[in-house]
Amino acid sequence: MNGALEATLRAVGGPLVAVGRHVFDIYSVFAQVVTALLKGAVRWREVFRQAYLIGNRSLFFITVTLGFLGLISVYQVASQIQRILPDFTMMGPAFIQLMWREFAPTITGLMVATRVGSGIAAEIGSMVVTEQVDALRMCNADPVRYLIVPRTIASAVMLVMLTIYAVLVATLAGMALADVVFDVSPSTFVSLQLVSPRDVALGLVKAFSYGFWIPIVAGQAGLAASGGSAGVGWATTRAVVSSSFAVILLDFIISGIGYAVFNL
Amino acid sequence: MTAPVAIRCEDLGKRFDDAWVLRGVDLEVRRGEVLGVIGPGGHGKSVLLKCLAGLLTPDAGRVLVDGEDLARLGPLGLARVREQYGYVFQNYALFDFMSVRDNVAFPLRQQAHLPDAEIDARVAARLAEVGLAHALDLLPRELSGGMKKRVGLARATVGDPAIALYDDPSAGLDPVTSSKIFQLIARMHARRPDAATVVVSHDVDRMRAICDRYVMLERGRVVFVGAESALGDAPEVVAAFFGGAERAPTGGG
Repeated sequence: MNGALEATLRAVGGPLVAVGRHVFDIYSVFAQVVTALLKGAVRWREVFRQAYLIGNRSLFFITVTLGFLGLISVYQVASQIQRILPDFTMMGPAFIQLMWREFAPTITGLMVATRVGSGIAAEIGSMVVTEQVDALRMCNADPVRYLIVPRTIASAVMLVMLTIYAVLVATLAGMALADVVFDVSPSTFVSLQLVSPRDVALGLVKAFSYGFWIPIVAGQAGLAASGGSAGVGWATTRAVVSSSFAVILLDFIISGIGYAVFNL
Repeated sequence: MTAPVAIRCEDLGKRFDDAWVLRGVDLEVRRGEVLGVIGPGGHGKSVLLKCLAGLLTPDAGRVLVDGEDLARLGPLGLARVREQYGYVFQNYALFDFMSVRDNVAFPLRQQAHLPDAEIDARVAARLAEVGLAHALDLLPRELSGGMKKRVGLARATVGDPAIALYDDPSAGLDPVTSSKIFQLIARMHARRPDAATVVVSHDVDRMRAICDRYVMLERGRVVFVGAESALGDAPEVVAAFFGGAERAPTGGG
């Protein structure tokens, strides 16, 4: 009986302890990033280089993904509206509000989490297994400050910009489909009557938060890599899973706070 | 008079999961000496070196540098102690996104706070010394294994460190290049004779030319510490390793 109980506790407790350690490690990197930012220990040239890489790497991806999302969303919604109340007046404003509040930041965040997060984990993980991170330490360069802080600032800023771009792309795609398929004029579709500054602020806060956390989560996965190329592969997978999960979790938290505290 | 102790290990132990890689290691590295760390592959030599540098935290015992326990130092204290170190990594560990020039200049930029012109001059001089004056603007991927090793050596020694650690500096190199690397180590030590130098290698023949004392590790334990002249009192396995005899232990733990 005791043996079965111990086995059960091990089976349940082991993964819980592993998750707890993982969360603590991420928090530890977060604390180091914040400390570095407060001290102003930032390599700005590297921030600009990373901003270019993150923005450039993601632009095509975001254009395609958000373009298709705009097309599909408008088609599905318009089809339902056509069957129930054939009045498309509010479709465009509701679509744009939804894009600002939810889809543009979150889908863009997920895209960046997969594409940029995996790149960060692979790059830092490779540096770990080839002892380059140890070499940084021996030269008194803190790996978090040197590698993760510039990526964090760049990603946070670029995700805000990419989100604005994503809203634009999705709106243009949705507007084109609404015009061609459902005969809704662009002037009717592109109306901001339902979009308040608070909706825009909510979307941009989400985007900034995703952009801030993705390099921290992915960078921690890279720093935890061990054991050669297999370890780098594992770190990359973990980075994508963890940073995508972080985006969803942050979306829930920020939306909840927005609703409960700011009545958004 | 005996030279002061730069690094002291007391009952040092290190494990990965449940496997102890180092056990009960007591060791001193004195200023001015070149200590060779020998032993079969996979018996803890590189792990010992990383513990000496504070890159790995001991699971038992402690490592003292100038009397300070590395594990008890905060980030600032560790940074202060590491300013004394130069470390040549087994797999080069060159920053692959930097040119040779920037790789070698990196420790000076991080630690020495020198004017750029002086850093450039020191880097050029050190690279000329290791025979790579022509490679300043190359990237690590454009270098051969021997060239990478020499860049790693130049990076580790450009600040003339008080503690120099070399992890298998001739690994994977041909005999001629290996000899050159050991000659460079000797030259770097001559440049700073008060430096405490630790060299991990299997290459006993070449180590004889530069090492004052040896420590031999077997299964994570120290089985011999002393000069080669003391081999007469050493266990048979040590003498066999020095002689390259067939009964010498082999790698793999």
